Amino acid sequence: MIKIDHVSFGYTDEQEQLHDFDLHIGKGECILLCGESGCGKTSVTKLINGLIPHFQEGCTLQGNVTAAGLSVANTEVYELAKHIGSVFQNPKSQFFNLDTDSEIAFGLENEGMPPEQMKERIVETVSALQIQNLLRRNIFALSGGEKQMLAFASVYAMSPAIYVLDEPTANLDEQAIERLRQQIILLKNQGHTVVVAEHRLYFLADIIDRAIYIRDGKLLHSFTGKEFCNLSDERRKELGLRTIRQTKLDLPEVTCSEDKVGLTVTNLGCAYKKGPNVFEHLSFHAAPGEVVAITGHNGAGKTTLVRCLCGLMKESSGTISLNGKVLKPKQRQKAGFLVMQDVNHQLFYDSVWNECEQAAGENAEGTQIETVLKQFDLLNFRERHPMALSGGQKQRLAIATAVLSEKKLLIFDEPTSGLDYRHMCE
Amino acid sequence: MPGTEISRLRIDPRTGLLLLVLANIIAFSNKSLSVELGTLGLLLFLTVLCGQLRSALKWGAVIIFLFALQWYILPASPKIIATSFSIFANYARKMLPCLMIGGLLISTLSLREIIVALRSFHVPQKLIISISVTLRYFPAIKEEIAHIGDAMRLRNISGLEKVEATLVPLMISATNTAEELSAAAVTRGIENPAKKTSLIQLKMCCFDWIVLTVGSLFTVVALIF
Amino acid sequence: MSQSTNGKMLKGRDLITVGIFSAIYFVINFIFMLMSGFHPMIWILMPALIALFTGVPFMLMCAKVQKPGAVILMGLITGLLYFVTGQFTVVILATFAVGCILGEIARAVTKYNSYIGNTVAFAMFSIGMTGSPLPIWIMRESFLAQITQQGMPADYVATLEAVSSPAMLIVMVVAPLVTAVIGAFIAKGMFKKHFTKAGIV
Repeated sequence: MIKIDHVSFGYTDEQEQLHDFDLHIGKGECILLCGESGCGKTSVTKLINGLIPHFQEGCTLQGNVTAAGLSVANTEVYELAKHIGSVFQNPKSQFFNLDTDSEIAFGLENEGMPPEQMKERIVETVSALQIQNLLRRNIFALSGGEKQMLAFASVYAMSPAIYVLDEPTANLDEQAIERLRQQIILLKNQGHTVVVAEHRLYFLADIIDRAIYIRDGKLLHSFTGKEFCNLSDERRKELGLRTIRQTKLDLPEVTCSEDKVGLTVTNLGCAYKKGPNVFEHLSFHAAPGEVVAITGHNGAGKTTLVRCLCGLMKESSGTISLNGKVLKPKQRQKAGFLVMQDVNHQLFYDSVWNECEQAAGENAEGTQIETVLKQFDLLNFRERHPMALSGGQKQRLAIATAVLSEKKLLIFDEPTSGLDYRHMCE
Repeated sequence: MPGTEISRLRIDPRTGLLLLVLANIIAFSNKSLSVELGTLGLLLFLTVLCGQLRSALKWGAVIIFLFALQWYILPASPKIIATSFSIFANYARKMLPCLMIGGLLISTLSLREIIVALRSFHVPQKLIISISVTLRYFPAIKEEIAHIGDAMRLRNISGLEKVEATLVPLMISATNTAEELSAAAVTRGIENPAKKTSLIQLKMCCFDWIVLTVGSLFTVVALIF
Repeated sequence: MSQSTNGKMLKGRDLITVGIFSAIYFVINFIFMLMSGFHPMIWILMPALIALFTGVPFMLMCAKVQKPGAVILMGLITGLLYFVTGQFTVVILATFAVGCILGEIARAVTKYNSYIGNTVAFAMFSIGMTGSPLPIWIMRESFLAQITQQGMPADYVATLEAVSSPAMLIVMVVAPLVTAVIGAFIAKGMFKKHFTKAGIV
């Protein structure tokens, strides 16, 4: 079904992203591409769906790729689109319409499918994927998981033979990942060929036929599904991969102690303008140096709580106090810092150094900034523009700014999205 | 899915767009007060027919206010206020029909329908793709600005720095979104030269023709007098 | 290989890029449009104010889409949005058409990636917004007639005549040309400080 024949590829002339890459995928196979960030797994997906070479200007490509019987390099992308469906990592940037129905129809409209047939296809898609709840909705009101589901549905409606998924779970919660898993199983049962590039492995381990491990643009190992499931933890960590088995967390209950030190939340309630409370009577305590995890499904109120804790939202009842002192929203903004889901929104300056200098304030000393940057492994990038950093580096920089401005309370809003094992540990 | 909509009169987006053109002609050619009042009255009626009672009341209030402003309030106001606002009052009065139709289009039709209408008027496909993306990106800008604002509050950024600190992440994120969205669009066949079809089917009904006929009559009258 | 697909025609990616930057341009534009409701002088200077503050999205769009048609698309989108919502008259579509065609010529002559060429294109493009206050002059006669009919004092009528005089018309058209150059210069600074360093252009 897919033949990648000794392909070498680089985004520019100088740097080679893939080297002599050779991979044949049979019809109906489900393949996992894994490896550390930047290893070249995304490039492999692009070789298949035609974004390479059609979408990359000035790239170098040697070797041949055929998919669904078409030579990828010599076929227009819109022809490939009929046979190869692609889902990408960012649910926010995959839709074109404001309403969900039009979005499912998007690919079909582009093909010029007659409206009657189109309606049938949509009905089929909706029932196969069980997404009745997504119909007739405003896309901007959907959660990240729902958006990703919609992107998947839009591709499914075009009924391609091959599915290419590039880190589809990067921004999803557990529930949404489970649904995605069900959908991949559905595709497999229907005999489709599926290629997934992923960091998160646990949800795929038992459904894949083969796992391809890539390092520095080379195919290093090919595991069968079984071999992959039986990888020892040591071996896995050596390869820089995340866990294959879903971990069960066993955490002590949070306490509601009367302790004065640390963060104390008492009877907290929070509501959007005029709306009902998103949550109420919430109490917990965190001592200095303690890490508290806030978990729950999409829509449970995690984001609201987090925004309220750092003073971006007013509480409607209850109090939040730090070291025994009740803080108003304004004071919480000073004391707390939030590492947002999309860290791109919180870096403003033209170099890593200036970013830190602003955060540290006027009377900070250079040596202090240097120490912090060293701690966060960013000192070598001090003159770099923050936006030119990698995702993990950006997050570390955001945390560094919080440390420098002496924030007492650090809050992370789903910080692990899109990081590989090694960076998560840091 | 269509079909469950409560049956209430609605105008086809193409009717709406044509009405806008007519309203523009009237705005530039009409000098008669009775034609003006007639146009406004009929548009109020149309708004009510389309089930927009509240916005009809709102427009009614605006009309009364504008006339009162021009005839009674401004002449009695200090000169500096009178000179500043009479141009607006005048322009607003001329533009009212356009605003009312525009408001009606936006509140009774989905953006998608307006896009389909533009397509049926043979507006070039390229312009349609771009303008769809523009419309789709407005709510995204709103989201982003809210996030950036939150982040700025936590970083204590203020004053003129705010402008730059908003614009830069916004522009960078726009650039990235353009890349990602394009990749998604291209792999779903947006560059397919085949004639595009549409899930939404527009239908002109009897009501549309009545609205258009009345609109044309008013335009002709405005042009003659 | 990629050369064959990189023709001089606008492709999907270009259209989407133009669409997104048009959205940002329109939002900034719209803010000033609302502000112009405070006083007619702000309205008359509105095209100039907009040119001063929209250099960044325009120039970034130019950097990203070095092909014919991008400027026209951006202008038509802005004009159409204002027209369809009934906020401005057809005049704005006409002024944008004229401004954008001149802008396209400027870019074509300078091969699409010259700072000066894009600045000239931006200045021409910025003329498009003059279609918003232009009806003041187009409707001038009927307006003044109506004011006189109402029996307004002479000095009042004189002030209004001054605001809508041909001299003001020239100010309204020339001002955006000047501020567009400044706007493009600001954009150049932002490119140097941020966008080039961040690797997005």
